[in-house]
Amino acid sequence: MSDASFLSLERLTLAYGDTTAVKDLNLQIGRGELIALLGPSGCGKTTTMRSIAGLLKPKAGAIRLDGNDITRVAANKRAVGLVFQSYALFPHLTVFENVAFGLRLKRISKPELEKRVKDGLQSVGLSRFAERRPAELSGGQQQRVALARSMVMEPKVLLLDEPLSNLDARLRLEMRAELQRVQKESGITMIFVTHDQGEALALADRIVVMLDGRIEQIGTPEQIYNTPVSAFVADFVGFENVFAVEDGKLKTSQGPIAQSKNVPSDVAGLAWRPTAVTLGKGTYNGTVRGTSFAGRTREYLLDTPLGAIKAEVDAGMPPYEIGESIPFDLPLENAAHLMRY
Amino acid sequence: MTSRFVSSAILTAVIIFLIGPFFIIVAASLSAGDTLAFPPRGISLKWVLKVFQIESFQSSFLMSMGLAIFGTLTALAIGTPVSYALARYKLPFGETIRTAVSAPIIVPGIIVGLALLRYLVIPFGFNLTLALFLAHTALVLPYAVRVVSASMNNLRSDIEEAAVLLGCTRFGAFVRTVLPNIRGGILAAFILGFVTSFNQVPVSLFLSGPGVRTLPVDMLAYLETTYDPSVAALSALLAFMSIGIVFLAERFLGFSRYV
Amino acid sequence: MFQNRAESLALALPAALFAAVVFIVPVLILLSEGLRLGGDWSLAHYVSFFSTPLNLTVFIRTLKLGVLVTVAAAVIGYAAALCIVNLSSRNRGRMVGLIVLPLMISPVARTYAWIVILGRTGIVNQALTSIGLTDAPLRILFSETAIFIGLLQLFLPLMIISLVSALENMPRDAISAARVLGANWLQVFWKVILPLTKEGLVIGGTLVFTGSLTAYITPAILGGSKVLMLETLLYQRVTIANDFASASVIAMILIVMSFSANLLLKRLATARAKR
Repeated sequence: MSDASFLSLERLTLAYGDTTAVKDLNLQIGRGELIALLGPSGCGKTTTMRSIAGLLKPKAGAIRLDGNDITRVAANKRAVGLVFQSYALFPHLTVFENVAFGLRLKRISKPELEKRVKDGLQSVGLSRFAERRPAELSGGQQQRVALARSMVMEPKVLLLDEPLSNLDARLRLEMRAELQRVQKESGITMIFVTHDQGEALALADRIVVMLDGRIEQIGTPEQIYNTPVSAFVADFVGFENVFAVEDGKLKTSQGPIAQSKNVPSDVAGLAWRPTAVTLGKGTYNGTVRGTSFAGRTREYLLDTPLGAIKAEVDAGMPPYEIGESIPFDLPLENAAHLMRY
Repeated sequence: MTSRFVSSAILTAVIIFLIGPFFIIVAASLSAGDTLAFPPRGISLKWVLKVFQIESFQSSFLMSMGLAIFGTLTALAIGTPVSYALARYKLPFGETIRTAVSAPIIVPGIIVGLALLRYLVIPFGFNLTLALFLAHTALVLPYAVRVVSASMNNLRSDIEEAAVLLGCTRFGAFVRTVLPNIRGGILAAFILGFVTSFNQVPVSLFLSGPGVRTLPVDMLAYLETTYDPSVAALSALLAFMSIGIVFLAERFLGFSRYV
Repeated sequence: MFQNRAESLALALPAALFAAVVFIVPVLILLSEGLRLGGDWSLAHYVSFFSTPLNLTVFIRTLKLGVLVTVAAAVIGYAAALCIVNLSSRNRGRMVGLIVLPLMISPVARTYAWIVILGRTGIVNQALTSIGLTDAPLRILFSETAIFIGLLQLFLPLMIISLVSALENMPRDAISAARVLGANWLQVFWKVILPLTKEGLVIGGTLVFTGSLTAYITPAILGGSKVLMLETLLYQRVTIANDFASASVIAMILIVMSFSANLLLKRLATARAKR
């Protein structure tokens, strides 16, 4: 077993009763990696995470961790930690007791336990709150308690369910930095589930984009952002102008339109970011239907023979009016090539 | 302001109507006379004391107490697991089971008592006290399930999952994370069940015999023959007991939250 | 983690089996007795039950009193509930506590008090004779009136609580809006308060109605053997005449009425939850 497949999911099929949530999933995760499972709700990312934790038994397939097959191992015997989206703190226990919970079950010596809990609380900056109850803490503080509670168990893999969704913008940035720091310092293998591409791009070493129980694409944030392989992923990371390609031509609602240059034959679709659309010159014409000022840029929604096109240009350029007809282009060199539509 | 006056008048009238009779009973029980009357002729504790001396009241009091305590405990013992199952799992025939355990509320108690007498006690020589115990447990079961369910529904399931992931067994997770948090609900259910069972009459009507009688039924029987204030005294004492229990429960538990 | 069906059944089975064996099966057998004559299914018992004038009287009386108590509880209940919601929240809590208090006291005690009040030498008669309204003491006990009063006292708290809850959930501005549009207080009640609280009215009404239909203690104490209601009739038929057929018929009537009321309640509750 190499470090690259520290955690491996092999042909994993997961179902709730008669509904299949994940079909035939294969994924290798390296030791110490920070992985994001990214996708819309219902794509199977949370189901996959819960099966790694042992809360859901797979219908078929295997899960291996650090060389051992843990597919049939009970949830309380895996070395896996989980920080729940709702934090799941024990309301009837103090912060100290919450963090100590798992350690108490292991029957380590009292001084050892106290040391580990205190260190755990200190590493998330909550030493002063040891005797408080969860209800007395803010959302961000509760999350850090949940994090400490899992970390003191020294799990082999730490799972986090939508760790930043419940936080306000500023707290989100703080928590993001916190998670990165904890992960780098401890070297733990971390997997988090999110529906927010911004979070995934900011935090992860690699992103696994999922849809309908299957993996759409695996890649580094740069790869996912710049070279999506399917229309879904392209749309997910902000390519607003996505087209299928047939016989080297763009498929639009008005019929196929030839591109200026030759499109490689294995390409199934092309996608342009709004910033990749050139306005003011080009082979196509469009009418401005809507415009909005976004600080550094100005966004335009155009009615065109290709359908609706979203463009974004520097705000310094002279603005176009609603109703104006302007030429534009979709330069092939600015497009992302999609292998699947 | 006239509307405030009208409001107070209405409420006072309603309160007098609802609670007044109880005070009359208390006053009548302190009568020094020999018959039941209000206003009482003189004040004396003799009827209150007499209550403790009437033998049948003593034994039926113990019977009612025993039924209330053990019946409610049993109802909780089987009602808590079913509440847990209904709240956490997708139980096959879940709705049927829920209806079945809540059904005793819908059926008038007297019918349950009669049915048990006719099909369990008489044909099989089933012990009468045991039949009473079963009837009272059945009576309290819906309350136990309803109150514990309400507590369970306020508790998220992920704390149990968190406990398991930290190393607990399923049962251990239940004991360490669920029980401490529904403790109040269980206690409230116990008190509610106890009071319901203790005051219940119709269920116990048919299930009485020599030496086997609940206190309210005994009081009813006593009423048919004797017209002295001892029943009033007993009623007053029991009422204070019930009110006292509930009052303490509210004080130390916030009982009303669970019901 | 909660997917295991076997586990869930193991947890639920003791209670379910208990309910089935101790309760459901015996009651069903009792009900079936009323539907069988000899070895066959037959409605003969029902026919003979309703053909007996006494039974018919008791049945109608029970229904009648049920309706009367419910209507009276509704009227008084609304009056009291409206007063209560206008109190400060601390007083409101105390008032609700006072109203709920009687529910904790044994029905025997609560009903028994009326003997003292309504009896020949009771308070009412003492007051009436001392004022000079009557010469001889009135016979109020052992009458439908006495039962009516006893049942009303027993179940009024349920109606009041139900209405208070409904009124608290009513948007407060609705009344002000109606007033601004020109409604007088009667119109406000009829067109705003009543429609917006009708669920509470139905819940309270169902509780009061079924409670009155299935009452035993109050009719037993305040009606005696002269003024019977369905449950006291049942007791009498069994203990005096060993007449289980009639008991079965009465049981069926009571269960059907109670069950229908409960079904109505459940339907209301789910309609409310959907909103």
